[in-house]
Amino acid sequence: MVVGEIPEATGVLVIGAGPGGYTAALRASQAGKRVTLIERDAVGGTCLNVGCIPSKALIGVAERYHQARHGHPFGITGTVGLDWPAVQAHLARSVQDLTRGVAQLLAAAKVEMVAGTARFLSPTRVAVEHSHGVTHYEFDDAILATGSRPAILASLPVDGVRVLDSTGALALAALPASVAVVGAGYIGIELGTALAKLGVTVTLVELAGRILPELDAGLAAVVARRLQQLGVRVHTDSRAAGLEAAGLRLEGGEVIDAERVIVAVGRVPNTDTLGLDHAGVHPQPNGRLAVTANRRVRQPNGGVHRHLFAIGDLTEGPALAHKATAEAEVAVAALCGEKVRFEPAAIPAVVFSDPEVATIGLTTADAKQAGLAVRSFRFPLGANAKARIGGDTTGYTEVVVDQADTVVGIHLVGPHVSELAGEATLAIEMAATLEDLTGVIHPHPTISESILEAALGAAGKPLHVHRRTNTAE
Amino acid sequence: MRFALPDVGEGLHEAEILRWLVAEGDTVARDQPLVEILTDKAQVELPSPTAGVVHAVAVAEGAVVEVGTVLIEIDDGSPSPAPSPAGIHPLAARSERIDNESPKSPKSRQIDVDSTLVAGGLTRPKASPSTRRRAARLGIDLGRVRGSGPGGRILDADLDAESAATAGPTSDAPAPPPPAAAAIGTPSRHPRPAPEGDLARSPVSGLGQLPFGTHPLRGIRRLTAAAMTLSWSTIPHITGMDELDATALLDARQRLRQALRDDGQEAAAAALTPLVLLAAAVAASLRRFPLVNASVNHDGSALTVYEQVNLGIAVATPDGLIVPVVTDADRRDLVSLALEMQRLAVAARQRSVSAAELRGGTFTLTNYGALGGRFATPLILPGQAGIMGFGAIKERPVAQGGVVVARPTLPVVFSADHRIIDGDLSVAFQEAVLAIVADPLRLLLGA
Repeated sequence: MVVGEIPEATGVLVIGAGPGGYTAALRASQAGKRVTLIERDAVGGTCLNVGCIPSKALIGVAERYHQARHGHPFGITGTVGLDWPAVQAHLARSVQDLTRGVAQLLAAAKVEMVAGTARFLSPTRVAVEHSHGVTHYEFDDAILATGSRPAILASLPVDGVRVLDSTGALALAALPASVAVVGAGYIGIELGTALAKLGVTVTLVELAGRILPELDAGLAAVVARRLQQLGVRVHTDSRAAGLEAAGLRLEGGEVIDAERVIVAVGRVPNTDTLGLDHAGVHPQPNGRLAVTANRRVRQPNGGVHRHLFAIGDLTEGPALAHKATAEAEVAVAALCGEKVRFEPAAIPAVVFSDPEVATIGLTTADAKQAGLAVRSFRFPLGANAKARIGGDTTGYTEVVVDQADTVVGIHLVGPHVSELAGEATLAIEMAATLEDLTGVIHPHPTISESILEAALGAAGKPLHVHRRTNTAE
Repeated sequence: MRFALPDVGEGLHEAEILRWLVAEGDTVARDQPLVEILTDKAQVELPSPTAGVVHAVAVAEGAVVEVGTVLIEIDDGSPSPAPSPAGIHPLAARSERIDNESPKSPKSRQIDVDSTLVAGGLTRPKASPSTRRRAARLGIDLGRVRGSGPGGRILDADLDAESAATAGPTSDAPAPPPPAAAAIGTPSRHPRPAPEGDLARSPVSGLGQLPFGTHPLRGIRRLTAAAMTLSWSTIPHITGMDELDATALLDARQRLRQALRDDGQEAAAAALTPLVLLAAAVAASLRRFPLVNASVNHDGSALTVYEQVNLGIAVATPDGLIVPVVTDADRRDLVSLALEMQRLAVAARQRSVSAAELRGGTFTLTNYGALGGRFATPLILPGQAGIMGFGAIKERPVAQGGVVVARPTLPVVFSADHRIIDGDLSVAFQEAVLAIVADPLRLLLGA
C-alpha cells in the first residue's frame, strides 16, 4: 500500500461487472450517483463470457446437429457435418455481441469503468491494481458482485489440457472422442448432453445417488432416461480418484476411458482475495457473505456494515444470474434510501438439459419436509399436441397447490419448457389460485397448455387425461 | 432454541433493534440481557430465556422487526426444531437437506454456490410483488396481515386496513387497552451511549441542531412522525382556548404541600406540582363527560367509550416526546397521583419506562407551558378523543370589578375530535376543568 496515496472519490463503487454488478452500476447511475465499476476480467462476468451464454450457444448448436442427424421420423434425410471452428466462432460472436451491448450501456450511463483487481484497504477504500499501477478509490457505498469460480478437486487439478473446468470445456480447440464429466449437477449435465449430441462419448461421474441431486427426483428421472437414450454412461455414488493415461480413475479402481476430463463440481464464491478483513467483513466458512434483506453486509458482531452491499453468488441462495440481477435492483434501491427487501416468492431455476427442466417454487418433497399439506397434479406431455407433433413427448408439467388452492410450485420437464418458467414464476409471485390459472386462456397448440392442463387436473377437472390427483402427506 | 420478539401486550407490533449486547459464539446465562430494543416509545433490554451459546444473531441493529420475528438462535442443548417455515435461514435449512440426500458427498462437492439451485421461502404470506414492496415501504410485516383475496391473498386494501389498525385504537372493547401486566424485559439500566455517526440514534447536542443533508427518521422520531401524521390526517380537530386566574390553584397547591411536609411526606410534597392538581381536575371532569374519554375506530364506523380513565402525560426528552400513562387517574388520591406522575416523568426522561407504561392512555395532558408559551393547538393521539394543554402560569393583567389587576393566570387549551365532540360538549368539558381550577375544593365533590 502506498502511504499517503490520494484516493479518487466516488459515490458507488461496484466490484465485478457480471449480471449483478453491471445492473447495479447502471441503476446507481440512473439514480444520479457517481459510479465506478471495477472488473478484473471481462465485462459481463461469468454468465456472458464463460457461463450461460456460450454454454447455451453450444447446447443450441448440439441440438440442431443432433436433430438434423436424427431427422428420419420427420422425413428428413441426408448427411450433415460439423465445422468446429465455425461453431467456436458462433460461440465467440454470441458472447461478443452481448458483452459489447453491455459495455455500450455502461458507457452511455457514464459509469466509470476500471479494468483491474480490487482489494480493500479500509471500510471505505479500495486499491485497484491495473496494468499501469495502483489507484485508490474512496467510496460512499460499495456493492460486492465478484461472483464465483469453478470449484476444484485436489485429486484432479485443472491443467487446461486433459483436465478442464467448465470454462475450458466451452473453448475446446477440437472435439475429443471421449470425455468424462465429474459432477452431474446442472452444469455437468448441460455440458455432457451437448457433447454427447455432438458425437462425443460421454461418461458422467456423480458422488450422489442420482444425477441432478439439486432437483426434484421426478424431474431428474426424466433427464436420466434421455441420457441413457443418448448413450451417455452415468456412474452415480462414485468418486473421482485421479487421472490415468487412459482416462479417469474412480475410487475403487475402475478406469473410465476419456481423452478429456471435465470437472464440474460446483462453484466457490470469490470473497477470498478481496482483502475483506480490512473492510471489517469476514466471509462465512462457506465463503459467502451474510447479508440483510436489503443486501447490506452483516458484520461478525451481528451489526450491519455501513458501506457494503453484497449480491449474486456471494450471498445465500442459488448462484444464478437472474438472482444477482434482482438483488442488484434491491441493493441500489436500499442504497438510495428506499425501504426494500429481497424476498422473492420463488427464484426460477432452468436447466438446459434434454429435455429442459424448469422448476419454480415448492415441490411436494419440499412441502413434506416442511410439514405443509399440498396437492399436486402431473400432466404428461404425451397428452399435449405441440409435444406430439414435435416428436418428443418426454416429460410432464406438475402444479403444486396448498390447501387454499394457491399455486406454490410449478415444475416442468420437457421440450422448450425453460420458456415457460416466466409464467410459472408469475403465478407463484402473484399467489395465483387454481381458479386464476384455469381462468387464463392458453394458446393452442403450445406446450404452455400443459400448465393449464395440470392446473385443471389439480382442481379435479382434468381435460385431456384421466388421472387422479396425487396428495402429498 | 430460537428466540423471537415477544408480544408484550396490545398495540405493540414492532420494535427497533437498537444494540446487540451479545455476539455469535458468546456464552449467555439465563436472564442475561441479549439486546436493547425500542418498542413503541420505551427502550428495554430483552433477557435471555435460556442459557447456552449464541448460534446466530438473525436481526441487524437498526432493523425494525415485527412481533414473532426470530431475533436470535441460542444453542442450549435442546434438539433443533425441524426447519421452521419462518426460520432464520430457510435457505440454509434447505441446503442441509440437499446434502443429507447425498450423504456420501458432503465435503467433496465443495459446493456452495450451486448446491441450492432452487430457492424461495417454504411458506410465505401470499401477496403480489407490488403489494410486498408496498408493505416493505410501510413497514408492515405481511405475516401479521389477514389476506382477504382468493386463497387468502393479501391485497393492497388489506395493507390499508392494517396500517390504520396499527396506528389507530388498539381495542374495540369498551375497556381501554389494559396496561400489560408483564413487562417484556428489565428496563435499560444504563443511559444509552450514542453510537458515532448514527444521526438517527444519537441526538446531536443542541435543540434543532443537525448537519445539512437528508437523515432517516428512526426510533421515537419515526414513531412520532407516524402517529402525528395519522392524527393530523384522520382526526378533525377543534381547539378551544381560555385563560383564568390561577391564584386559587397555586394557593391550594401551596397549602397541600405544606400539609404534606408537616406530615413528614417530603417526597409527596415535592411531587405535588400544579400539573398534579390539573390532572386530578381533568380526571374528575372525564368521569362527568364519558364521551370525552373515548375514541373513534379506524374506519370511522363506531366509537368506543372507555371504562378506565388513563391519563397520558406528555414528557419532552432529549430523544423526543414520550407519553407515559397514569392508570386509573380518577381513582387515585392526590398523593398517589403526584408520586405516580413524578415516577413516570423521571422514568421517561431516563428512557427506562416500560412498553406497558406507554400504552392504554384514554386522554392526554400536555404541559407545554413548562417550555414557555401561552396558547397552542395540541394534536390528539390516535386512539383518543381529546388532549388538554396548559400554558405557562404568569402574572398577566386581569379585569376584576372594573379594575385591571395583575394576577397569575393559567392558559388552558383543549383539542377535541369533532367527529364525536361538538362545541357544546367541548366547552362544557373545558368549563368543568376550569371550575375546579378556580376552586380546587371542588375536587372533594368527585365526579
